[in-house]
Parts: sequence; C-alpha cells; structure tokens
Amino acid sequence: MADRSHIVKSYEQELGQLRSMMAQMGGIVENQVALALSAIADRNEEAADAAARQDPEVDQLEREVEGLAIRLLALRSPMAGDLREIVAALKITGDLERIGDYASSIARRSLRIRMPENQISLSGLRSMGRLVQENLRRSIDAITQQDSNRAMEVWHSDRAVDEYYTALFRELVTYMMEDARNIRACTELLFIAKNLERIGDHATNIAERVFYAVTGDNLPSLRPRGAPASALTVAETMQEPDVR
Amino acid sequence: MTETDPQVAKSPEVALAVRNLNFYYGENHALHDISIDFPARRVTAMIGPSGCGKSTLLRVFNRMYDLYPGQRATGEVIFDGRNVLERDLDLNILRARVGMVFQKPTPFPMSIYDNIAFGVRLHEKLNKAEMDARVQDVLTRVALWNEVRDRLNAPASGLSGGQQQRLCIARSIATRPEVLLLDEPTSALDPISTARIEELLDELKEEFTIAIVTHNMQQAARCADQVAFFYMGRLIEVDSADRMFTNPKQQQTQDYITGRFG
Repeated sequence: MADRSHIVKSYEQELGQLRSMMAQMGGIVENQVALALSAIADRNEEAADAAARQDPEVDQLEREVEGLAIRLLALRSPMAGDLREIVAALKITGDLERIGDYASSIARRSLRIRMPENQISLSGLRSMGRLVQENLRRSIDAITQQDSNRAMEVWHSDRAVDEYYTALFRELVTYMMEDARNIRACTELLFIAKNLERIGDHATNIAERVFYAVTGDNLPSLRPRGAPASALTVAETMQEPDVR
Repeated sequence: MTETDPQVAKSPEVALAVRNLNFYYGENHALHDISIDFPARRVTAMIGPSGCGKSTLLRVFNRMYDLYPGQRATGEVIFDGRNVLERDLDLNILRARVGMVFQKPTPFPMSIYDNIAFGVRLHEKLNKAEMDARVQDVLTRVALWNEVRDRLNAPASGLSGGQQQRLCIARSIATRPEVLLLDEPTSALDPISTARIEELLDELKEEFTIAIVTHNMQQAARCADQVAFFYMGRLIEVDSADRMFTNPKQQQTQDYITGRFG
C-alpha cells in the first residue's frame, strides 16, 4: 500500500490531467490579475488589452475542466479524497473564471480613467492589489500542491483585504467630497476596488474548497472579516452595502 | 483502531452485537477479535477485498460454519440476549430467525409456490388458505407477485436470474426472520434486476436488520446506513455510509474505496 496511485492507470492519468488543467487555468487568471493591476498602476494600456484578451481562453478551460470532471464522476464513480478533489475542481473552476472576469473588468475600467493629476493617490489601491494578488497566488499554490495549510493562510488574510477595501472606500469618498471633478475617476476606482475585493473573496472560496478537498473537513462557515464600509462615519450617507 | 459513528451507536436497538469474535478455518485464523454492532432495522454493508473475512462473518451469524468440520469460532455474537455461538443453540430456529441469501440464486428444484412454502412448513403449521396468503404476501413484498401469480406451480428454474434472486429473498423472509444476511446478492444480476433488489432492501429494512456483503462500493454507498471495512480478517473501520465514502478516517479504507490498494 506504499504506492498511492490508482490500480487503473487511465484514472490516475485523468486525475493528473484535471490537476494540470486547474494549474494552467490558475496560472492564466493570476497573470490576468497581474496585468490588470499593472494597467492601473502603470497606466499600461497594452497590459489592459492583454488581460481582457485572455478571457476566452479561461472560459474554454472552464468548460474543459467541467467536461473532464463530469466524465470522471460518470465513469470512475470516485470515492473519498478523489470525490472531494473532483467536486472541488468543479467549483474552483467557477471561482477562477469569475476572478478572470473581474480582472478583465478592472483592465477595461483602467482605460477609462482620466486621472486628475496629483490629486488622487493610488497607493492604497496598489497595496490592496498586492495583497489580493498574494492571496490569489497562495490559493493557486494550495490547489496545485493540495496544501491545506496554504489554504488556511488565505482564509485568514481575507480579513485584511476587507479592511483595505473599507479604507479605500473612505479615501475615495473623501476625494469626491473634496472636489466634484474627482467623482468620475473615483467612481471607476471604487468599482475597481470592489472588483479586487471580489477577487479576494473568490480566492478565499478557492482556499475553502481546497481545504475541504484535502482534509475532508469544512472551515468554519463564518470567515474572519473586517468592518464593513458602511460602518464608517465619512461614508454614513453613502450606504455602501456590506462587503458580502 | 476502529471508529464508531456516534449516530449509529446511539441507535436505540442493536440486533446483533459481535464481541471479540475470532474465527478459524482449521489452522487459518480468519477473523481477528472483531467487535461490531448491527443496529436493528438498518442496513450494514461489509466491504473489503476478497479473503478479508466479510463473508466469514456473515456465515457466523447463522452458524453456517457448523456444517464444516474444523471450522470454529470464539467470542460472542449476541442475538436476542443469547450468544449465537453457544453449542446447545437450536440451529433450525436460529436459521429461521436469521435468513440468508447467496451470491447466485439458489431456488429449490420445485415450483415457485413450494420454494416459499417449503421453509414455512418446517416451522409453522398453516392451513392452505394461510399458506396461500403467506406466499402472496412475500411475493408481493419482493415485487414478484405480478410477474408470477399466473404460474405459481411452474418450476422456479424457469424464472430469470433476477426473478430467482427475488424469489430467494421472498423465501428467506417467508419464515419471518429478524435478520437478513445477503452475501453479494446482486453480483450475478443485470443492472435492472440489481436496482430492483436495492429498492427491495429499502423496503425490507423497515422490518429487518440487514447485513450485506458487497464488492460494489456504489451499492454499499446507496443501500447501507452503516459500512464496515475489513482487511485481512480485521475490522479496520466502521462508520456511517456518508462519512465512510466521503471522508474515511483510516488510510487503508481510503486506499481501498478509491481503488488504490497496491
């Protein structure tokens, strides 16, 4: 029993294929997010285009992962750890696809922003972007290495993402209150921040699914979370809904 | 080493309580210190590779092994307050109360009607009308009545494999047992007949305690409330079917049910 591979080699191969497709999909989506962030931070239009161009490939991979997962469920009747991994892959692929969409959306918005120079600092958005990117990287590592500890790290740091989002929300509202000419750009930036927050959330979903697939246990249903943006005094009248 | 599901353990009644059971085929020590409860009116599936002892355990419950010299059991199997292994137990009564169905359908070489009446006559004195009612009742319960009502006097050997197996189940419940032992009852049947038997198990468990040995993992997952995994004569793990197939605790169980047994 030292050998942990399946007696049926084609089953093992198909599971390997599923894992490599997930890794590939994760890699593309990670790249999309990196390009989208570079599009905002460096005003890089090429990066923005490149991020959006990868969408069809991600969609295609999502369909392929689903197809293979359904095939495995139908033909192999997977059990225990295999069953958990395949079902997790089915759901994770949806999370990755959504992350790709949000990245494209960020990239497209970045092209629309006409920044009133020197008035708005993007440093908060950059920091939030770096943290989300880091969380996404860790959750994708957790997938490829089937690492529940990694998954746990992501799960714990989602709170920090929420806090960044809340702080950014306050900051952007302040800019808008200071000068109405900021409203257009800040609205786009608010959407971008929201998209980043969503990406962080999906990364946390992925972490939860990996944790279940690897350990067979669920993480607690309540995530550690930051204060909702609506709790802030400056934003009181804005009624930004809760992060989730 | 074994884990017991608290839900199953909490079940009000235990139909069969196995305690420190050891079994020997001559020199061969086939079951090692098995302790497990079979909750009343639940389906317990026993899984494990060939030779793991699951069928042996089934054969202990109705003392089938008594038919073979050199085979012996030690320990306890408590059924209705008595140890089934006691030497002076009336085996005819035991076997009427603990029915058994085998892998291959084993109809007697007689009519469909007599296949059922035969066992009943050994234990009960019924008049013709009562016997007719009993035959119809059990054939209805195994969903065979409509298929055979017009040919009750035809030889049972003329039935299809699936029908024969349902007849054998009807035969074993005709003596009104409390426990039903099924040793791979569907391994020789087509998928439709298999589905019929599985449907039947769902109905029968309302009334009987069922112990089923199966090599079909999906069948165990579908039919059983409790699943026990055996390996090399030892009980490795017993848990609810849900947990056993999504999140078994023992690595050996995980390896076996996922098909990784080297």
